[in-house]
Amino acid sequence: MSGPNEDKNTQLSSHFFGDLLDSIIVDVASECHRIAKLGLDRNLEEEEEEMRLSVQARARVADPSNSSETNTKYVVDIFGQTHPSIATEIFECMNCGRSIAAGRFAPHLEKCMGKGRKARLKVTRSSTAAQNRYSRGSPVSAYSPYSNSTSTNRLSNGTPSVAGEEYSNGTYEEPWNKT
Amino acid sequence: MKHSVNRPPTPDAAEDQGKEPPLQEIINVKLIESGEKERLMELLRERLIDCGWKDEMKALCRAHVKKKGRNNVTVDDLVHLITPKGRASVPDSVKAELLQRIRTFLMSAAL
Repeated sequence: MSGPNEDKNTQLSSHFFGDLLDSIIVDVASECHRIAKLGLDRNLEEEEEEMRLSVQARARVADPSNSSETNTKYVVDIFGQTHPSIATEIFECMNCGRSIAAGRFAPHLEKCMGKGRKARLKVTRSSTAAQNRYSRGSPVSAYSPYSNSTSTNRLSNGTPSVAGEEYSNGTYEEPWNKT
Repeated sequence: MKHSVNRPPTPDAAEDQGKEPPLQEIINVKLIESGEKERLMELLRERLIDCGWKDEMKALCRAHVKKKGRNNVTVDDLVHLITPKGRASVPDSVKAELLQRIRTFLMSAAL
């Protein structure tokens, strides 16, 4: 355990320790720099601003006088637009050709194509006699226009059911067929 | 960032001067080649996190960034900011532990 060697050892150790520490300091500085530049760590002012805005928003939502029924027409979305609670854009029904409002489309389709007794009667009146025989015979026949799940597929292939005749021309678009 | 930004100078630089590479360099190379430097760094990093030193440094940086505005800060700024405080605020126990390990390595790699 000679003196000078010990000193040298200590000196060297301190040097290397400082070396390690400096590297770590640079790493920490680099990390903080990155966080600052990417805005990952919110500044206090930004946080205060966001707190204020979120408190405002929460108050507006929680306000009991804003009942959802009366106010949907006046509620503003994030782009500043208002819209009525029932969609009003008008489409033509591909089954019966009528003009239907978008918001009333689904119930209309139900009656027009689907489940009801009245719908079945409406279709059979205008289809050919041969189709009538098929459709009345088997409920899940390929030509049946009123089993909803199969009919949607068949219609796109252009099979000769009532609605299908329109499709075989390849001109009709079926927005509701696409998922 | 896991790995050190500082690279030790390559041995060639010392040889070009026409003299023996200083002891420090030799030991540095040994530290790196044996993997001990990496282990020591990880140990020191872990200790400094555990004792809250890293959080203190990050807080200093954050305060500085807030003052200067985040687009006006460079890595250099931050390094110069935390180096003096960082060096001074390492807990004695951590420093002692690391020094001990380094010294052990030096003795085992005795020339």
